[in-house]
Amino acid sequence: MPERHIQTAIRSRNRMTRRAALGLFALPFAGIVPSTVEAKPLRIVCLDDGLAETLLTLGVNPVAIAGRDVWENWVVEPPLPPEIADVGTLLEPNLELLQQLAPDIILSMPYLDGIKPLLERVAPVTTIGLYTEAGQPYQRAIEATRQLAKLVGKETEGEALITATDAYFSEVRRELAPLSARPIYIVSFLDPRNVRVYGRKSLFQEVFDRIGLRNAWAGETNYWGFSTVGIDGLATSSDARLAYLEPLPEGAGGTLTESPVWNAMPFVRNRSIIRLPAVLMFGALPSATRFARVLAKAMTGEAARG
Amino acid sequence: MLGKQPAAAILLCAVLSAAAAAATASNLTVQLPSALWLQSLTAPDIDDMRQVLVHYAFLPRLTVSLLCGAALGLAGTVLQQVLRNPLASPETVGVSAGAYLALALATLLAPSLLAYGREWVALAGAFVAISAVFALSWHKGLSPLSVVLAGLVVSLYAGAVGAALIVLRHEWLTSLFIWGAGSLGQQDWTTTLWLLPRIGAAALVIGLMVRPLTLLGLDDEGARSLGVPLGVYRFAGLAASVALIAFVVAAVGVVGFVGLAAASLARIGGARRLSQRLVMAPLIGAALLWAADQAVQLATRAQGDLLPTGAITALLGAPLLLWLLPRLALGLEIPALTEERLPRTGRPGLVLATIGLSLLLLLGLALLYGPGPDGWTFAFGDQLQPLLSWRWPRVSAALAAGAMLALAGLMMQRLTGNPMASPEVLGISAGAALGMMVALFSLDDAGRPAQTAAATVGAFAALLVTLAMGRRAAYAPERLLLAGVALTALFDALILVLTATGDPRAVKLLNWLTGSTYGVDAGAALLTGAIAFCLLLLAPLFLRWLDMLPLGSSAVQSLGVDVPKTRLLVLLMVAALTAASTLIVGPLTFIGLMAPHLTRRLGLARALPQAAGAVLVGALIMVAADWIGRTVIFPRQVPAGLVATLIGGPMLMWLLRRR
Repeated sequence: MPERHIQTAIRSRNRMTRRAALGLFALPFAGIVPSTVEAKPLRIVCLDDGLAETLLTLGVNPVAIAGRDVWENWVVEPPLPPEIADVGTLLEPNLELLQQLAPDIILSMPYLDGIKPLLERVAPVTTIGLYTEAGQPYQRAIEATRQLAKLVGKETEGEALITATDAYFSEVRRELAPLSARPIYIVSFLDPRNVRVYGRKSLFQEVFDRIGLRNAWAGETNYWGFSTVGIDGLATSSDARLAYLEPLPEGAGGTLTESPVWNAMPFVRNRSIIRLPAVLMFGALPSATRFARVLAKAMTGEAARG
Repeated sequence: MLGKQPAAAILLCAVLSAAAAAATASNLTVQLPSALWLQSLTAPDIDDMRQVLVHYAFLPRLTVSLLCGAALGLAGTVLQQVLRNPLASPETVGVSAGAYLALALATLLAPSLLAYGREWVALAGAFVAISAVFALSWHKGLSPLSVVLAGLVVSLYAGAVGAALIVLRHEWLTSLFIWGAGSLGQQDWTTTLWLLPRIGAAALVIGLMVRPLTLLGLDDEGARSLGVPLGVYRFAGLAASVALIAFVVAAVGVVGFVGLAAASLARIGGARRLSQRLVMAPLIGAALLWAADQAVQLATRAQGDLLPTGAITALLGAPLLLWLLPRLALGLEIPALTEERLPRTGRPGLVLATIGLSLLLLLGLALLYGPGPDGWTFAFGDQLQPLLSWRWPRVSAALAAGAMLALAGLMMQRLTGNPMASPEVLGISAGAALGMMVALFSLDDAGRPAQTAAATVGAFAALLVTLAMGRRAAYAPERLLLAGVALTALFDALILVLTATGDPRAVKLLNWLTGSTYGVDAGAALLTGAIAFCLLLLAPLFLRWLDMLPLGSSAVQSLGVDVPKTRLLVLLMVAALTAASTLIVGPLTFIGLMAPHLTRRLGLARALPQAAGAVLVGALIMVAADWIGRTVIFPRQVPAGLVATLIGGPMLMWLLRRR
């Protein structure tokens, strides 16, 4: 699993773990000289999970994030070190706690512009938008990676992450080439009847473009890159596969199998359903890599089973 | 034997059905060529996805819409008959909201309960809700207005608890209960087959009771003299209609206003006798929901359940309620019995001083004591300064908002002579929230100033609407209250539609709706404080009127007071107080309902001591709610308005309990 090496290798700049040491042997960018360790690391509070996962992959622990439980259920990887504090909910991070954590900088997103004046009283705020009206979250994730890498003085690691992610996509593209003829829907279940289907302007679409897969959903999406439709809205393509992301909402799993509409859907009849573990749909490069990896693993596993 | 036929109602039913049938044909043609319709109905070809969708999605949805519409129309008619209240309906007496909340709670907290049957959970919630409504409106003799107001309060309360679930679990990435908004979407016939026997049984029970139910419409003396055991039939009728509503909610969620519309339209359409209404109302209800659902499908076409039909019917229901008001004979309001045997203190000064002292103590606690990274601490010296800069704006905003809302509530209750009157039923809070919604969804990055401006505009627009509707009736309190109820219902429906789309901005709106002081900075706190100070200074000018108004309009008039002008001035004052506080703590203004009652219980009866006491109590409760909200699940926070509502609801029930 090369992408794990990306993370661990980058982290090994600071701490040499056994896993990281093993990873070094397979480094696609092994020639990089470790940079000198700074005297006093920047204290960063990161309110966007996509930015936080990028920081962690660059080997920098933020002081705090918003909502550890959201991370555990929706981001999963990279695992969150226990020393990272939780400042509460995304919409109302606890300001008293923030102040006591004494951060040097707060990383925020446009969604939180409403509370920016409050955050600015604690520390300077840098707003980085991965998801905007303009779309192209992958390009924005690359820019955000460079910006963050510069901020924490890890430009080489940042470039390495960008190159490694790209290289990994080429690898997955080769791996999946025999399976790329059929289009795929990527959905999250909202309830047994309705799904959120990802399309244009979503991170998943950008990964699809890079690993040579075709999205079966060509319809409208909002600026977060998804559309809410009933399951029967997915019946238009007869040879499509369906990949759905965990976690499932309460009660969605059991009732599906009994529904005649579900059972008549082309992808159910062809047994072309792929179950994927949780991947942050509003993430950055690490989420893109994770998505490509879990999808490739599920598709090749399915192909191997026949 | 046959009375006059309800010609208008039959005509209406026919027109609605024709429109629905046309829309159905249009929707069906898009899905499947007409040559295959019969085949897909009787023996669908499972290899043809179009036929599968028609047979297992389109047709069951159509059937469910008919069944639910009929059930709601029937339930509405029986409720109106049993409660002798032309405004009673599944939605207005809080039953739907109660059933929905019970299901939502069970789904999230104890899914195993649902294994025993969704209907039992829904029934339990529906009965709790209607018991609460009875308890709240009992001492007004279950008069039409007080039942509807109590129903609104119960619905608001259920809504607040529902919002708390969403905000606290902060599932901004997942669905916000699409089904709860009355999505009729189906994927097989199970819901239809589940509903059919249950609705049939309840309808049969009601059918067997037509004669006793008719007698219930008479006054109690007349019915009793005919030897009818009133209590038994009243309970049986109520149970059957509540069961019908619970089944519908368990199957498809809350379908707004169909029950009220069907029952009222049948009555207005000429169905005078109960037996006629029991036939016409379900027919109109079925036609109404069928037409509404087909229209929604026509508008969205393969957009899934993006527009939940139940929320759309609620949107249409609010204007309908406004249209109905002048056409219904509501009967006379029973004069308030609030001056019953409640204690009166001989020393109001002492009571006020005690409340004031408690407020001071609490203020100290709220400013100095709280949890941090190292546990609970009193902040001193150097630590205090930074913490205080966060805490004082929130505490002072809560203080000002609580005081203003309590005064507004007191004025509303004295103006209307109705103990269930509170600022939110005037529609002002709903207007402010609508303004906020527009700002959040139309401006890309609406900052706090833009949001505040939009909410202010909304609040005053709502006030204008309410006043315009009350003007003809010389600002008669009951018309104003009902107009407010309609506005509030309209707003709730909009919120449901928006949250059902799963747009992340809807969560921001929910967050504000639950009444958080989070975003209050020094400037906002000072401004609110200044407004509160000025308005409280004006309050003594109203005291004489507030002492007189509960005596009733004719008595006040005989004292030489211009009643319409007085009412208008009091309303403007209430509106200013409500708008200023809603902007800070959101539209959950339960405190305005509760503080005056609590003060009265403490023995403060005349306008001056009661007003002073209510202001202090309102401030006390709101500061306490904010402090609890900030500390109880640190570092997360529960919005102050929500805490006040969660504490205040049970407290209010206790205060207004049947005596």
